[in-house]
Parts: sequence; structure tokens; C-alpha cells
Amino acid sequence: MPVVTPALAAIIFAAGAVSGGFGALLGIGGGVLLVPFLNLALHLPFTVAAAISLTTVIATSSSVSAARAGKQLINMRLGMLLEVATAAGSLFGGVTAQMLAQSTVQKVFGVVTALVAIIMLTRLQRRNVILDPDIDPGPLGGRYHEEESGGTVTYRVKRLPLALAASFVAGNMSSLLGIGGGFIKVPVLNAWCGIPVRAAAATSAFMIGVTATAGAVIYYGTGQLVPALAASAVLGVQLGSWGGMRFGQRASAMWLKLLMAAVLFVVSAVMFTRGIQ
Amino acid sequence: MTRLERTIGAVLRAGVIASSLALAIGLVLQFMNAPGAQALLHAGILTLLATPVARVVVSIVGYVRERDWTFATLTAVVLLELLASAVAALVFNKRL
Repeated sequence: MPVVTPALAAIIFAAGAVSGGFGALLGIGGGVLLVPFLNLALHLPFTVAAAISLTTVIATSSSVSAARAGKQLINMRLGMLLEVATAAGSLFGGVTAQMLAQSTVQKVFGVVTALVAIIMLTRLQRRNVILDPDIDPGPLGGRYHEEESGGTVTYRVKRLPLALAASFVAGNMSSLLGIGGGFIKVPVLNAWCGIPVRAAAATSAFMIGVTATAGAVIYYGTGQLVPALAASAVLGVQLGSWGGMRFGQRASAMWLKLLMAAVLFVVSAVMFTRGIQ
Repeated sequence: MTRLERTIGAVLRAGVIASSLALAIGLVLQFMNAPGAQALLHAGILTLLATPVARVVVSIVGYVRERDWTFATLTAVVLLELLASAVAALVFNKRL
């Protein structure tokens, strides 16, 4: 276990603030940036890095969703339905994480991030938004007011089995890799299930608290969750996500997707290279 | 805003504030080598982990109150999955 010094705590606090800012901006929880930093730059074991990151994912999810609750961007019914799949996946991934070698997990991390970045880029122009506000959103769809167009966006949920499958995989990757899993769910929900990117991101951010908890509990029980380091990261992320959320109101959906894809490619290359060394 | 959404917002906010306070104070105490730092840090982490669980519990209560049995069942399944991960943690803990 790493020795907790004030300097290490300060570095992790700063890293948390940066990844929390991007996380809130992109709806990805920030773990996809924090885990590589903790594991590759600070040389923490992958499981320790993942455990710290999962606590920040929970904190981000809780604070972002507390601020957004009741503003219609979060589709709570859809979120709670998909949580059945994410929590199951997370439980499975948390158990798997205890059995796999670090290099294997690093390679999985690299491959997963690259795949998602490619999906994101190929779907850049697709919006899948039904702009007729009178359409019936169905039992799982939603309706919200969009800032950039000033109109009401209404959507129906398509291909629910696919959404559930993606949620299971996202949950699995969440506890295995220490990420929120939003970066798997959001593209799938947006590209194939008819959910606008902002609603998909807000609903995903709502879900990842429960998803990450299913994984974090296992790391806590095995003693791989170092409370002082998690505390530094959580507090940093709280600060960063507060800033990111303020900026996120003004950023456009297309730029968010482009930025997200670019970040994922870099993370993927670095992590995969480390995994095969 | 529905009553359930308001309750969920309040639960999440309370959990975040309580855990952040405990973690911040715990961290300061840790670097002052003060007693109780570890206990406070663990309390902060446990509060953080308990917040989504509490959100699921109030959702179950909310859906039962609305007589929405489909969603009451779905959220109850999520709660069971969270309990299963706690059981898995205990199993691994025993083995180590």
C-alpha cells in the first residue's frame, strides 16, 4: 500500500479537480482520466487506482444528480431500469478484477477506450432528436427544455435490449477499470436508442453512482480502497465537477463529442502500450 | 418536479455534504497526526458508499407509494445486487 504524504494527497487532489472538470463536461465521470494518471504516473497498483477512482465516480454522480434532480434532463425511470443491468455487470466486474493480472486489465482499458472513441467519431452528425414536442414519449422516453435551441426536445427509447446489454457491459467495465462507464453507455444510448446526447449523459451520470458503489464496496472490503487517497481525489473532483458543470451548460454537443473522442484516443494508446510492456 | 425526484435530490445532496465534510476534516486531522483521523476517513467513505444505496431505498419506497409495482420490483432488484456485492466483499475479505 502507498505511503500517504501531504504531497501525494495534494497531487491526487489536483488530478481529481482536472478529471472531475472534464468528467462533468463530458458526462463520463472522470475516471477514464484519473485511473491512467494514478496507475501510470503515480505508480499505484491498478486495483488501488480503480478503487480511488470509483469513489470519485460516486461523488460526482451524487453531486451532479442532486443539482439536476427534477430538471427533466435525467430520465430517472430509464436510469433505474438500466441500473438493474449496470449493477449486475459491476458486481461481476468487481469479482473479476480480483482475479486478473494488472497488464491484462490495462490492455482491456486501452481497447475499450479506443473502440468507444471510434464509435463516437462515426456518429458525430447523428442527433436522433424528435423535435415535434407533441409526440408521445412512451413509458420510458422523456421531454426536456434545451438551452441551445430554446425548444422542447421529446424522445422515445428505441432498442431497449441493446440499452440493457450496453449497460451490463458498462457496469462490468466500471468496477473492473475504475470508471463510471458513461463513456460506453452514452454513445450507445445516443447513437442507437434514440436518446439525445444531453439526456443520455445526465441519465448515465445519475446511474453511475449505483454502478460504481457495487464495485467500490468490493474494493473496500478487500482493503484496496485507501481512505486518505480517496478523500483527496473525491474533494478534488467535487471542485472540478462544480466548475465543469458551469461550463457544460454552454458547450455544444458536437464539440463535446469531438473533445471526448480525442481524449479517449490518447488514453487508449498510453494504457495499451503499458499493458504490453 | 415529483415528490420522489425531490426526495432523491435531497438524499444525494445530504450524502455528498456529509461525506465531503467527514473526508475533508479526516484528511486535515490525518496530516496533523491527530487521533480519530482514520475513523473519520472511514466514516466519510462509508457515507459516500451509502448514498447511492439510500437513493435506491427511497426510490423503492416512492414507487411502492405510487403503486408502481414494476419499478418497485426493478429498484428492489438493484438493492439486492448492491447487497450481493457487499457479500462478495466479505467473502474476499475472509480469503485474504
